[in-house]
Amino acid sequence: MTRDEIKDVILEIIEDIDEDAEFDELDADKPLRDQLDLDSMDFLDIVMELRKRYQLQIPEEEYPELATLNSCVNYLEPKLKDA
Amino acid sequence: MADYQLVIIGGGLSGLAAGIRSARFGQKTLIVEQHHRPGGLNSYYHRQGFLLETGLHAMTNFAPTGEKHAPLNRLFRQLKLSRKRFITHEQLGSEIIFPGVSLKFSNDLELLCDEIGTVFPAKVDSFLNLVKEVEAYDPFAEVEWRSTRDFLLERLGDPLLIDMLLLPLMVYGNAEEHDMDLGQFAIMFRALFLEGFFRPEGTIRDLLAMLTRQYEKFDGELRLNTPVAAIMQKNKRVLGIRLADGEEITADAVLSTAGIPATARLSGWDIDEKKYIGQMSFMETISMVPRDNLRQEQTSQTILFYNLKAELAYKRPETVIDPSWGVICFPENFHGLQEKLAKNVQVRVTNAANYTLWQAADADEYRRLKEECCRQSAESVAKIIGNYRQDVVYQDSFTPMTIERFTAKSEGAVYGSPIKIKSGRTPWSNLFIAGTDQGYLGIVGSMLSGVTIVNQHLLG
Repeated sequence: MTRDEIKDVILEIIEDIDEDAEFDELDADKPLRDQLDLDSMDFLDIVMELRKRYQLQIPEEEYPELATLNSCVNYLEPKLKDA
Repeated sequence: MADYQLVIIGGGLSGLAAGIRSARFGQKTLIVEQHHRPGGLNSYYHRQGFLLETGLHAMTNFAPTGEKHAPLNRLFRQLKLSRKRFITHEQLGSEIIFPGVSLKFSNDLELLCDEIGTVFPAKVDSFLNLVKEVEAYDPFAEVEWRSTRDFLLERLGDPLLIDMLLLPLMVYGNAEEHDMDLGQFAIMFRALFLEGFFRPEGTIRDLLAMLTRQYEKFDGELRLNTPVAAIMQKNKRVLGIRLADGEEITADAVLSTAGIPATARLSGWDIDEKKYIGQMSFMETISMVPRDNLRQEQTSQTILFYNLKAELAYKRPETVIDPSWGVICFPENFHGLQEKLAKNVQVRVTNAANYTLWQAADADEYRRLKEECCRQSAESVAKIIGNYRQDVVYQDSFTPMTIERFTAKSEGAVYGSPIKIKSGRTPWSNLFIAGTDQGYLGIVGSMLSGVTIVNQHLLG
């Protein structure tokens, strides 16, 4: 997957989790949780959805890598390069 | 390999929510329910053409769409259900009625503040501070039991105001007698006073259908008429369940929503069962009454919490029921439901009841007690809403025995064990409990309990 494709996947997963999600003013370098007003339960769903779709096991200590949209892409790029 | 990754005992609201959570991420999940329909305490039945709901008076924890952190909306996201398409009807208003004084409240906290300002003018500031403290309190932190009564006495100092505030909070969710744990108080205070009452569009049947559809959409399996005889185990792990008909089903993990005492009996869990059996149970009578025969002032409200004595006696009564305090609910009195009102409206009256005395009665005596208690209850309630007994078109009651039969809650304790296990853990590393005995209460609460326990322990 390319970086842009990964970005789309993340946004698609969030949209799927939260019907109120708005991405118009999303800053890719700022924490997703604060901007989209998500809580830890929603965050768990992003991790679970990635696991379900791509069999990705993300250990809890690496959750901070998923903080912003850009950090998500950086973290997932090597893991999803063949996906 | 086990037959299922997760087997859930009980198809009530906590079991269904847990099932959706587990199945949503592809885990092979089975819910077993002893009755022919799901719902547990919150279900329904048909009599003489009426669909009668059990349990549900109103849902608590109202939140408008868009308030992302509200429990109701978090729950919908977790279950992947659309909150926007879930139509809600807010309460008209409710009232706490004590001898000579009353406090009205609605889903707007300001009404309760104004009422306290009128009846207890010196206590308004203390009440506002209390609200702030409850908002900041974390009810799920694992802390020692703390007395709500002591806490309130320190802050409000007025025994009458304290009893009045506690009546609705206790009768809608307190498993303990007299006092309640501060964490439970915070949960109930938020659910009732800060968030408020509403009804979903339709009946509990529609809500249950929405949940089972969602569960089945994720390929979850639900088996009705399937009572469990035992939780099978070896060393410190459970292996699955054995059904009443002898069939054995293996599972990587088991989640029981049958309550601590029933789970202990199924698993051989060595606990002092008595400590986990709640004393509070109730009798409820549903009457269909011509609307015009009721006093307008009270009956235009949603829920009346009444106490005919000076002090609140929240405990198992020494008599079959205690009609001196209770709840009067008008399930049609919600915004948006008033236009389609039929000539007859439901009046539901709930009173504390003594399980042991109901259980001791043989079939004839049980029927006689039911009639006698209906009469006693209606006589008490007449002091608040007028006499309607002669006008009743149809009437039916349930007792602690009915509750025990349909919910598996020992001694018909609707709110379960007075001691909660907030972690959901048991002595077995792969057996968990969820639902009322885990500490969340109410319809939204019990569903959140199922969700939380699956999230914490069962999404491995």
